Amino acid sequence: MAYSVLIVDDSPVMRSFIRRVLKLSGFEVGECMEAGNGEEALEQLRAHRVDVILTDINMPKMNGEEFLRRLCADGVLKTIPAVVISTDATNERIVRMIELGAQGYMSKPFTPETLREELERVLGDRHASRT
Amino acid sequence: MPPELEQEYTLDGDRAASDTVREVAAEVLEAMFFTEAALTNCEHSWLRSARCARIRFEGSHCGEMLLGVSAEAADLIAASFLGLEPMELTDGERGQMIQELSNILCGAMLSRLWPESKLALGSPELTPWEEWPGAGNLHRCFVIPEGSLGISVRLTAQSGVKE
Amino acid sequence: MPLSSLIVGISDCKVTRDANLVLVTYALGSCIAVAMHDPVTKVSGLLHYMLPESAMDAKKAALNPFMFADTGIPGLMDALKAAGGDGKRMIVRLAGGAQVLDSQGMFQIGKRNYLAARRILWKAGILIASEAVGGEVSRTTRLEVGTGRLWVREGGGMERELVRKPAAGKRTEQP
Repeated sequence: MAYSVLIVDDSPVMRSFIRRVLKLSGFEVGECMEAGNGEEALEQLRAHRVDVILTDINMPKMNGEEFLRRLCADGVLKTIPAVVISTDATNERIVRMIELGAQGYMSKPFTPETLREELERVLGDRHASRT
Repeated sequence: MPPELEQEYTLDGDRAASDTVREVAAEVLEAMFFTEAALTNCEHSWLRSARCARIRFEGSHCGEMLLGVSAEAADLIAASFLGLEPMELTDGERGQMIQELSNILCGAMLSRLWPESKLALGSPELTPWEEWPGAGNLHRCFVIPEGSLGISVRLTAQSGVKE
Repeated sequence: MPLSSLIVGISDCKVTRDANLVLVTYALGSCIAVAMHDPVTKVSGLLHYMLPESAMDAKKAALNPFMFADTGIPGLMDALKAAGGDGKRMIVRLAGGAQVLDSQGMFQIGKRNYLAARRILWKAGILIASEAVGGEVSRTTRLEVGTGRLWVREGGGMERELVRKPAAGKRTEQP
C-alpha cells in the first residue's frame, strides 16, 4: 500500500530535496503533498489522508512548533507520525518538539542517505502498526 | 543574560566561534552540496557580483549573518543540491538556494555555538553584500572548487528572549 | 564450485553477471571503488577510479574514462545497463577515499573523490546503500556477483562485510 507524505517547509528547494530523497529511497509513495507553513499543512490534512509528516520549525504564519501543538490537540491528527527537519539543533528546541509528539528530529545538514534511514525507521514503525 | 554577553564580547575575538564557522561551512557543503570548503585569505572583488543573503536571529543572542557566494559557484552548488544541470535552474531556484544555504549555515552555527540557548531565526533575505566595518564582526572567506564563499556574523543589541 | 576472482585494476571497470565470479580491486588509497549489483539479474560492476574530474586531464580521460569519477561512473552505469542491469534496482556501495599523500604532497584528493561519487550518484538518482570511506588506510574490496555481498579489508585488518548502514549525518532519536 502506498504512503502519503506531507512535506512542510517554507523553502521550495528544501521541499524539492526531500521529495527527491523520498522518490529515490524506494518507498512506495502514493501522494507527496507540500505546504509552506503550518497553516497550509493543516489545510492539507483536512483534505487528504497523510501517513507521515516531515516538518520544518522556522516558518512564517504558523511555525512548526505551533503546528505540532495543533496536531497534538487533535485526536485523529496526533496519530500521524511527524519528523522534524530543522536547522535548530538547540537542546531546548529538540526536547520541546519531542514533548509535542515528534517521533524523530533531524538537524540540517544531513545527507540524503541519513534522511532515508530516518524515513525507513518511521515508516517501518507505521508498516508494523498496519500489519 | 548569557555570560559571554555580560561583558564586552565580540565574535571576532572568540576562537570557538571562528572554528565553528569553519567546521559548519565544511560540514554543510559536504553533506548536502557534495563539495568542500577551505579557509582562504580574504580578497573581496568577487563579492560585488556575488549572490548574497542576510538572516537575522534573536532570542538569548541577537544578531545577523551575511552569506555571499560567487555567481558561478552559486549555480553549480544549487544544481548539485537539486540533482540538476546548472542550465536547468530557474531564477527562483537560484535565489531560494542561497536563502536556504544561509538558513542551514546560520542555524547549524548558532546551535553549535550556543546549544543551550533559545534562538529564533528570521527568514533569509536576498541582499547585496555589505562590508561591516569595525570590530565585533566575525568574517571568514572560503574557497570551494566551484568558486568562493564568504560569511560574516555579528551580534547586535539584545532584544530579549523570544517566547 | 569455488568462486573465481575477476581483478579490477586501478582506473579500471568490470561488469559481469557470472554468479561464479567475485570482482576484486586492491590498493584503494585515495581512489574510490564503486560497486553496483542488481539483485534480480545479478548484473554486477566494480569501478576503481583515481581522480574526481576529467577536466583535470581531458587527454587521459579520452584514453581511459575509468580514471575519473565523472566519466567512470556513467561508464559503469552504461555497461551495467547494456548487460541487462536495471538502474533503479542497483545496490550501490563505495569504498576508499582515504586521506593519503598524493604526488603533489596534498591530502585532499581522497575526500574530493568521495564527494565526486556522491554528487554524481545523487544527480543520477541513486542513493548509496553503504560505504567504507575516509580515514588513512588502504582498502581492498570484493563483490560477490552471485550474492551481491561486498567485503572490505582495511589496512592489515580482518575482512568485514559491508552491510547497509547510515552515511554521515546527524540525527537525534526520540528518547
